Amino acid sequence: MEYEKDGYSTHISQQFNKDLEQIRTELLTMGGLVERQVQDSIEALLNGDSDLAERSLRGDKQTNDMELMIDEHCTRIIARRQPAASDLRMIMSISRAVVDLERMGDEATRISRQAIELVKGGESPRGYQEIRHIGNLVRVMIRDVLTAFARSDINLAYQVAKQDKAVDQEYRSAMRSLATYMMEDPRSISSVLNVIWVLRSLERIGDHVCNLAEHLVYLVSGTDVRHQSLQEMRRTVREETETQDDADDA
Amino acid sequence: MTSNMKTHAIDISSLKRDTRVLNMDDEEITLKVNDLRLCYGDKEALHGINMQIPRNRVTAFIGPSGCGKSTLLRCFNRMNDLVDGCNIQGEILLDDSNIYGRGVDVAELRRRVGMVFQKPNPFPKSIYENVAYGLRIQGVKKKRLIDDTVEWALRSAALWDEVKDRLHESALGMSGGQQQRLVIARTIAVKPEVLLLDEPASALDPISTLKIEELIHALKKDFTIAIVTHNMQQAARVSDYTAFMYMGDLIEFGVTDTLFTNPVQKQTEDYITGRYG
Repeated sequence: MEYEKDGYSTHISQQFNKDLEQIRTELLTMGGLVERQVQDSIEALLNGDSDLAERSLRGDKQTNDMELMIDEHCTRIIARRQPAASDLRMIMSISRAVVDLERMGDEATRISRQAIELVKGGESPRGYQEIRHIGNLVRVMIRDVLTAFARSDINLAYQVAKQDKAVDQEYRSAMRSLATYMMEDPRSISSVLNVIWVLRSLERIGDHVCNLAEHLVYLVSGTDVRHQSLQEMRRTVREETETQDDADDA
Repeated sequence: MTSNMKTHAIDISSLKRDTRVLNMDDEEITLKVNDLRLCYGDKEALHGINMQIPRNRVTAFIGPSGCGKSTLLRCFNRMNDLVDGCNIQGEILLDDSNIYGRGVDVAELRRRVGMVFQKPNPFPKSIYENVAYGLRIQGVKKKRLIDDTVEWALRSAALWDEVKDRLHESALGMSGGQQQRLVIARTIAVKPEVLLLDEPASALDPISTLKIEELIHALKKDFTIAIVTHNMQQAARVSDYTAFMYMGDLIEFGVTDTLFTNPVQKQTEDYITGRYG
């Protein structure tokens, strides 16, 4: 059925509207926090800024608190309202999304810790080019997936999922060149390993963003696209968009 | 390494997704409604309903007040015949024969299609006589047969253990929930094929409601059940298929699991989520 972007605000029960509106706002707020955390951690690493890294670390506490709070609100809505159809899918998607967001926060924390380590070690930046490149891709993905959530835009969600494949590819090619560095200069192994950890975290963040995109597709279309190929996801998105267009025409 | 994966003694490969999905094509159909129109005087209350009710399944009818769901349910055993000015077109096939056809014995039809109403309506007789009533009307005389049937019906209605020591006391001394189960026992004592339940639990407390729901679940292996309910969660809990009706039309009819998670029609979505229509 056609998913209405602001459909949650048309319940007979005003209180239910408020509950859903609130939980949705909280999710986007948490998304914003995590986006900031990831951004700060990457910047801190690239610029050797340990203050920024510390700030990103402090952000994680907030993210964790938000996860608990949103989860509690989801449970409360289920207990009190017995949501159905799109309301139920919204609660399910949000409750899944906060898990992914929290994990993204954890990965950002790892990157920040690496940044602090690297500043302490004072080692020459090698492989930072890869970090900058993949970091930029991931940042755009986070921004896009949050926009997609805010607008219930599954086409954008699909683009984000597609972008994750690009990140995976970049990650693999970065691994190859870093392995070459290590072979050429065994003394660089420990610093290159640190870079590898960071890239690994960025790649994981990309995966979580992809999960968020999948949750959004489920919320809007009702089709669970997890563990399916990108083609399957595209088909679902296309079918859903067509039904929406038909409904708009009618 | 063995090919079947096990963890905590659970065979993982046996856990398949969507094994419970029902498909109408695989179902045996008990009741078939073909272009059914019903008018109360000048006013058309049902505008051409087409649907099929599968055997040994629970089909729930939901919809706002006045949408025609009770009217439709009452058509299945011709209860609307008793209403003045009621005019019915179209047909309802029970096992492929039209119940509105010529020469249909309505009393026999109502034996095959039993009905239970919102308020429990036991007769002012003993518990035993309430259940035995249908058999006595049919002319059954053998005490042994009646005894056995009464026990079977009360057991099927999950009431036997509560009343076996006071079978000859008045049915009016029972609680509301017990009375409703007694009425169900009375209905199934004549071995109908279809059970029609019109808001069977709406006058009951939550525990009695759950007992009735449990009973519905147990009874579907022997009967085809159609239930009208205002309680959407109840429809979601007890039924295999759900029909959503609105202003005399059947808007959506589908597998309950799908209808409550991802309905096709906007009207259905609005109703089950409690939005403005």
